[in-house]
Amino acid sequence: MIRKTAAVWAGKATGALSRISGRGGGTTLPGDIARAIDPRILTKLSQDLTHGSIVITGTNGKTTTARMVTWLLEGAGHKVVSNRAGANLIFGATAAALNKAGPDGRLRADWGVFEIDEASLPKAVEEIKPKATLVLNLFRDQLDRYGELESIAKKIESALSALPSEQSTAILNADDPRVAEIGLGLTKAPLWYGLDDTSVAARELPHAADARTCPKCGASLNFEAVYVGHDGVYECPNHDFKRPTPSITASNIELDGFDSFSADIDKTRVEVPLGGLYNTYNVLAAFAAARTLGLEPAYIAERLKNFRAAFGRQERLEFRGRHLNLVLSKNPAGFNETVRTAVELAKGTCFVIGLNDRKADGTDVSWIWDVDFEHLKDKAKVVVPAGNRAHDMAVRLKYAEVPAQPPETDPGSALDSLIRATNEGDTAHLLCTYTAMLDLRAELVRRGWAKPYWET
Amino acid sequence: MTKTFTVGWLYPDLMNIYGDRGNILTLLKRAEWRGFEARLVELGRGATKQMDEVDIFFFGGGQDREQALVYEDLLEFKQPPLELAVGNGAMVLAVCGGYQLLGHYYQTAEGEKFPGIGMIDVRTEAGKKRFIGDVVIDTDIETLSPKTLVGFENHSGRTYLGPKARPLGKARLGYGNNGSDGMEGCLQGTVLGTYLHGSLLPKNPHLADYLIRNSLIRRGVDELSPLDDSVELAAHERILSRAQHH
Repeated sequence: MIRKTAAVWAGKATGALSRISGRGGGTTLPGDIARAIDPRILTKLSQDLTHGSIVITGTNGKTTTARMVTWLLEGAGHKVVSNRAGANLIFGATAAALNKAGPDGRLRADWGVFEIDEASLPKAVEEIKPKATLVLNLFRDQLDRYGELESIAKKIESALSALPSEQSTAILNADDPRVAEIGLGLTKAPLWYGLDDTSVAARELPHAADARTCPKCGASLNFEAVYVGHDGVYECPNHDFKRPTPSITASNIELDGFDSFSADIDKTRVEVPLGGLYNTYNVLAAFAAARTLGLEPAYIAERLKNFRAAFGRQERLEFRGRHLNLVLSKNPAGFNETVRTAVELAKGTCFVIGLNDRKADGTDVSWIWDVDFEHLKDKAKVVVPAGNRAHDMAVRLKYAEVPAQPPETDPGSALDSLIRATNEGDTAHLLCTYTAMLDLRAELVRRGWAKPYWET
Repeated sequence: MTKTFTVGWLYPDLMNIYGDRGNILTLLKRAEWRGFEARLVELGRGATKQMDEVDIFFFGGGQDREQALVYEDLLEFKQPPLELAVGNGAMVLAVCGGYQLLGHYYQTAEGEKFPGIGMIDVRTEAGKKRFIGDVVIDTDIETLSPKTLVGFENHSGRTYLGPKARPLGKARLGYGNNGSDGMEGCLQGTVLGTYLHGSLLPKNPHLADYLIRNSLIRRGVDELSPLDDSVELAAHERILSRAQHH
């Protein structure tokens, strides 16, 4: 107990110092310090929660979905601890728990909502022992960091198998073949969710699709519908494997650009101010999670009407008379969807495409060749390639035959280039990888057009 | 009459892990921009026609599961027509897993050997450490200008060249074939194997043109009209200057 209290104090002091010194939001370092003093600190703090935890993982949508689950629980009067700022490794989760712990070292909250990186999930599940684990999707992402999709899927399956089945539920996306494979290997049946509206489906798989073979016989899967990336309605031609039937679905989906969508979920009409089909998945997942945690459909639908996305995930800012729409786009599946939403639904014509190759973005940028930037051809009037790999993006755009401005590696120069090429009143979509987004945003903060992210 | 130029992509659905589409697009667009009718033939699993029409074959990398599926199909359906086409002067660009599969064998950490098709005189053994990062190589291939190639590597295989294969170049930055002899890639006849992706050809337009030019000699094309490569070479230069700061 003394060790736990000492760990909490040391961690909290680090967080406060980090914020005061202006080095950032103190979102992970406190976790690091506290874990050094007491390696079991996260398990101990998790046990203080009066109701328990939910852990959310997947390649795309973790932050938005976790924020939504938190929003729903808080609206129902629960006190929630969550790792908000995209700090999704075990240190980030620990830091978040520390932040809500009192001077006696006890965590005073009802629920823990933790978004956890796919590769950190086994450790997080082992330490947190969540009541529910939500797996959103498994797309190709940052291969240089973790090795390949296959080994991640196996790690997640073993982590879920190790949970006591009577106390824990797996909530899985039935439309994702890799996630489905995980669920079919579990002894306790998961709660499956999926889309049920072929009118919003694409006709064929995008180039980025990456889970296309049957896990049993190796045959290429047939897709009846493709929604996002390789997520859709699929079946093995030899009938060895097919999409599990989801028990909670989204149907009659109506999309309105980046602004909003509505759909029928669990016999309830849901309207959420988030755009893009990928967000329909996030909302459906959050809905399924909230139901598992005991919330009612009518309440969920009402509360989601006023949900706001996390910083940078999708954020609107004004900048010298231009309307900026910042959308995090960090891998082929995500980028394809934001490009599709920007061009087809939001009728976008002005873009900044930010590509960085720092650790958090993935140091290998070859994936940009799997994104169908060809959709911008004849649609985009202004495209500014930005980020420390802006030159790679410029080459990518050239081979997509999309005319672009010269590459700008400096965020300030990229914004200046955008100003020169656009007029007041124009809307520009800033589609960026994680740290490229932070860089552009920091420049907007420096110029007084945005608030620092830890204040949002 | 418009001349055709055909790229054959071996297993586009299974062996495409490292943005390999960039190599395909670069070959097709650079031919198209010069007035060729550029065509892509996708060579998936099963019996495949049209392999005799291909000017450049591309063979990329895959994940373990996919690579195992490809291996059997390669032996059964692709090896004879591929050898025939190469004998007739078609070029081959093989990256990562494709590079390994064209060699004599791949030996796992446990010592188990998986034979390749032996088209190039290389062998590969599993290594512990994964080689990941930017690569710059200095090449002495005649007709290539600039004399550098840039890319990104991500592999745990260690590839060793036999006497019939020559290295593509010497690694100035990165590990290359095996991390011990400092060499990267191989060139043997019309077959070029390498660990570089990124994708390889978009930032190395001179290598793309080398492949296109050599594949079209047999069709009576001996000169390619010049293109404006300033965007590609700026990206190439940027990797070179980053390499100096490593």
